[in-house]
This record gives sequence, structure tokens and C-alpha cells, in this order.
Amino acid sequence: MIRVALPRLLRVASFRLAATYVAVFAASALVLGVVVFLQARSALEQQIAARVESETATLREEFRADGFADLIDTVKRHGQGASALDYLLQDAGGAHLAGEMPSVPGLAPGWITIDAPQTWEDGGQPEKVRALVSDLGSGMLLAVGADRRQINDLEEAIARAFLWTVGLAAALGIGGGALLSRTFLRRVDTISRTAEAIIGGDLTRRVPMRGTGDDLDRLAGTLNRMLDRIAILMESLRQVSSDVAHDLRTPLSRLYQQLEDARMHARSMADYEAAVDAALSETLRLLETFSALLRIAQVEGASPRAGFRDVSLTAVAEAVFDAYRLDAEQAGHVLSAEIAQAIGIWGDQELLTQALSNLVENALRHTPPGTRIRVCLNGNRCGGALLSVEDDGPGVSEGDLLHLADRFYRGELSRTTPGSGLGLSLVSAVAELHGAELTVGAANPGLRVELLFPRTPAAQFPLPPPRIPGNAAAGSR
Amino acid sequence: MKVLVIEDDEETRAYVARGLREQGHVVDLAATGRDGLFLAADGSHDVLIVDRMLPGLDGIGLVQALRQTGVRAPVLFLTALGGVGDRVRGLEAGGDDYLVKPFAFAELLARLNALGRRPPLSEAATILRAGDLEMDLIKRTVQRGGRPVELQAREFQLLEFLLRNADRVVTRTMLLEAVWDFHFDPRTNIVETHISRLRSKLSQHGDPELIHTVRRAGYVLRARASSEPA
Repeated sequence: MIRVALPRLLRVASFRLAATYVAVFAASALVLGVVVFLQARSALEQQIAARVESETATLREEFRADGFADLIDTVKRHGQGASALDYLLQDAGGAHLAGEMPSVPGLAPGWITIDAPQTWEDGGQPEKVRALVSDLGSGMLLAVGADRRQINDLEEAIARAFLWTVGLAAALGIGGGALLSRTFLRRVDTISRTAEAIIGGDLTRRVPMRGTGDDLDRLAGTLNRMLDRIAILMESLRQVSSDVAHDLRTPLSRLYQQLEDARMHARSMADYEAAVDAALSETLRLLETFSALLRIAQVEGASPRAGFRDVSLTAVAEAVFDAYRLDAEQAGHVLSAEIAQAIGIWGDQELLTQALSNLVENALRHTPPGTRIRVCLNGNRCGGALLSVEDDGPGVSEGDLLHLADRFYRGELSRTTPGSGLGLSLVSAVAELHGAELTVGAANPGLRVELLFPRTPAAQFPLPPPRIPGNAAAGSR
Repeated sequence: MKVLVIEDDEETRAYVARGLREQGHVVDLAATGRDGLFLAADGSHDVLIVDRMLPGLDGIGLVQALRQTGVRAPVLFLTALGGVGDRVRGLEAGGDDYLVKPFAFAELLARLNALGRRPPLSEAATILRAGDLEMDLIKRTVQRGGRPVELQAREFQLLEFLLRNADRVVTRTMLLEAVWDFHFDPRTNIVETHISRLRSKLSQHGDPELIHTVRRAGYVLRARASSEPA
């Protein structure tokens, strides 16, 4: 159980959400309250006016039937009591005849508001009285009025009810929000703790899932999958490092042996020179391996698409074909090409040139003289491009096919020929960078390597994840 | 030539300096970008060799600063970085050539010579000559001793580069970059096979060899046979 400090609680998204809801609720309750308030007041006012009118009518009737003295009596009688109406009877000269209200000079029939500085009731607060004045004949005026006490009471009652409702709802909303946020915070804290443990080095930790399938659970699931992926990548990185160490150990020990042998047995200047030459060429091979590795790392590196622009694949294929034609001829191979015109993609010309060169070089180096090697470039019906290098040499065994693109992988037959075993790895990395599909397959006889470039500019593809050398499939079949 | 080497690695600095002095060049040394900038500012050097990664002021910044102060001496960048972007950035900053570590000394020397002794022929020259060999850049024709020599486009480019650098050693890598635009090292014999084809075309009538192989370094086109440099 974690103690949640309030300021932190206030920053939780769900709490803020709850607070917003409370505010919206309060605003709508306010609107509702105002409407109810106005409606109720207007209804009450109408009711009071009706009462005043009917009292006026009654008194006029009484005056006509029973005369003046009875009227004064009635007025005095009706004037008693807490909920009684207010009365005024005055003559044509403005003299006060009866009633609690003071006489008003210049009184005229109709509804008026009388400011009554009275001392009766309520401790003598002056009150406004709404009164109906009527002419009883011969200048005699009767005013029947009702004070605003009732209306004021109603107003107060409504306002109180409203404040209680909103206050309670707000308290419940805020409290509920805080409670929810606390639960939420606890789960977020669990995720944070897991992440901290992983940062601390425990890569096997995973975020616990409740199995409810809610949003936090889904997030936890995604995080766990990400962690699994990272673990695989770390593992493959370790694998590559150990591959590199292993593969460089052999030439380094050879170098060491050559130098040691020279130190012990060289007798003449010529012996020494021969030993140094051998050591130099061994070093050169080591450096080649390193630059090939570096190159692959750069292709898979941080901003490998910086060099992307419109590239004519036709020009790349023609340049490579042209460069290797003489070479192939001299080695006794037959290099031919079938290159479609005006095929362009979005890519890195230098990397594409190197990738195709690697493919042609592979074919040249791993097949016997007389082998026919064919470079083809076609636009395909989907608007992409298909670049292939095919030979009719002895081909590659089924088992080797699977591993051709692995770093340092070299088939049994090619162990004795020079090379780093990195050529096809680079091709594979370049292919992924361009969103192209690399396929290595048997050509019966021989080997066929295909690069299928998509129609969509590669820039719109997500960057390929760093390859996992251990299981990067050489071909997709 | 007077060469300034700005390189922070002591071993490399001493290695380059010793080699250059053996070749008869005058060598100044600097270990940091600031020292290098100070030494280079007087503009007395024919070529600058600048490491890309230097403490304080890095190679790119140094060359930009130099170019702003009007020092025009050609710059050869040395670097452990070999990526495409790195090379382009170096050249954009005002570098003239680029060499990735580790390098063979012969490679450095050849590139230095190509940079230091600017071609006596202006870039605008339309006819290149070496002995009885004549290349017309407008008509795209080549003649040897008055007889036309048929060359393919790539062979023409190759010969043009050799002619522009006549009497200077050019390395295999320089040729790959200039003629094929290959900025990587193919492990086949592209250069060798093309050179040998070019040679046989140029010497069809028993004319003396023009293109000579320099062991461990590269090739040199020489109008008259002379002793190979060490």
C-alpha cells in the first residue's frame, strides 16, 4: 500500500477528469436552479395578485351592499393575523380612514408599489407592498396589498436547497474522483516499480496484469511485449558480439603465429620481408571485416535514410554490370544483363550500388569458370521493381540457404575462399532499409537472389527493426 | 611541399610525419584543433591533413573557420568514420578529399600529391596530352602517335583521370571513386582488368607502355619511361 500525497493526487488524470465533471454538473445545476427560481416566483406573484383582486372584489361588494361603516369594520377585521393582507382606505382629500398602510397623496386606481415605512411586524423593517387601488366612488379609494415576505421566503428556500445539492454533489464527485485516482496511481506505481527494476538490470521482470482487459491492462500487455522484444534484441546483440569475437580470433591468432614464427625462425632479410608481407595482408583482411561490420551497423544505424533521394535503379544496375563485365570475362564467367529502362526508386544510390555489387561478386567468387551469371531489372506489375542476380553454378544446399544472410555465415564449400561472410548480411540490411524483400532461392541449377522493391517510397515505411542475426531468414518461402 | 598535420593520436601523427619527411616534405604538427587553426592561419601550407575528431575544435569546425579566414589550402580529412554522410559532411565543410582510417601510407601520399600539386592544366582544358598520347575531351577521341584509339566510355574516363594526374601515383581506391563512383572496396579486380584492357588498347602498335604499376601503391601514367619512385 502506498500513501498518496494530495498534491500528487491532484495531478492524476482521472482526478482532473472527476473535478471537471463536478464543475460541469455544478454549472448545469445552477442553470436549472435559476429557471426553477424564476418560474416559482412568477407563479407565486400571480397567485398573490389573484388573492388581492378577489379580496378587492369582495370588499367592493360589501361596500355597495352594507355601506361605509361595515367596510371599515371588515377592513379592520381582515387586517388582523400573520398572513393577512394589507389595507388602506382614504378619502378624496387623501385623509387616512382605515388600514395599516399609510395614506398616499395622489393615489390613483391600478397596481402600485407602496413604500411602507411601517413599524408593525418583523421589527419594523420598511417593506415594499404591492397593492391594487380601486375607486369606491365619490373619491373614496381602497388599496389592498400584499407584502413580499412570502416571495422572499420562497426565494430563500430555493437558494438553500440548491446550495445543499450542489455542495453535496461536489463533495461526492471530488471524493469519488480522489478514490478512483488513488487506485489508478497504485497501478501506475506498480508499472513504474517494474520499469525501475528493469533499469536496475533485472531484465526478466514484467508488469503484472489483472486480466480485466481494461486500458491499463492493455498498456501493461504492450509494455510486456516491448520488453520481450528488447530482451530478444539484447540476446541477439550478445550473439553478434560473441560471433565477432569468435570470427576475429582466428585471423588474429594466425597473425600472431606468423609474427612469432618470423621472430623465431627468420634468418634473412627476405624471410623477414615475407613474414611482414603475410602479416600485412592478414591485417588487411581483418580490417576489411571490420569495415564490413561498420558498414552494416551504419545501414542499421541512427539516421540511415539521410542519403535517400530519387535513384535510377536502371543506372545502378548498368553501372554495376559495366564495372564487373570485364572482370567476369577474365575469370571465365559469362555475365549478362537484362535491364529495363527508366526504373527509379526512393533510396540510397551508394548503398544500392554496393548491395548489387556484393551480389554480383558473390556469384563471381562462389561459382566455377563457365558459369552464366545474369543480372535482371524489371518493373513489376505493381509499380515496384524486381532486381535479381541468378547463376547456373552448383548452387547452395538447402541447409545453407536458410543461413546465407546471417552474419559471418559461410557455407561449407566457401570456407576456403577469401571473404568475411558478411556480404549478404549487408545486402539484407540494405534491402530492409529500402523496404525491399530479399529472397534467396535455388535456381535449379544455381542460386537466385531477388530484391523486390515496393512501389511505395521507402520513406513511408517504418524503419526496419534492427535485424536479429540469429534468425534473420535468408529467404522468405 | 609544406604539410600541416592536425591529428590528436600521437602514433598516427608520428607515423604520418615520418613518412612525409622521408618523402622530402616539410611537416608541421598540431595535436588539437586550436593549435592547428593557429598554425594554419598564416596560409603558408600547401596541404592540410586534418583529423575529423579532434579535442576542442573538431575537424569540420576547424576547416570552416579556416575557409572563412581565407585559407585556401586543400584539406585532406582523416577519419575513423566511413559512412556516406560523414564523407559528404566533410566535403561540404570545405574539405577536398577524404581518407578513412586505417589507411596505407601509399594511399595517403598519392592523395596528398593529387591535392598538393594542382593540375597544371586548367579544368577548362579541352585537350589532354602526355607524350604522343592526345585526348580530345570535346570530341571524346583519343589518339596515340596520330592513330585513333577506340575506347569505351568507362575506359575513356579512366584514361582521362590518369592523364589529369599524369606523373602522379593514383591508387586503386582513387580510381574506384573517380571513375566508378564506388565508395566501397569491391574484392574483385575491376580496376586491374580495366587498366590491363586500357594498356593493351594504348599499346596496340608496339608503342611503349604509358601506364605503369607502382607496387603496393597504384598506377602512374608517365609519358617517358623513368625510374619508379620508392
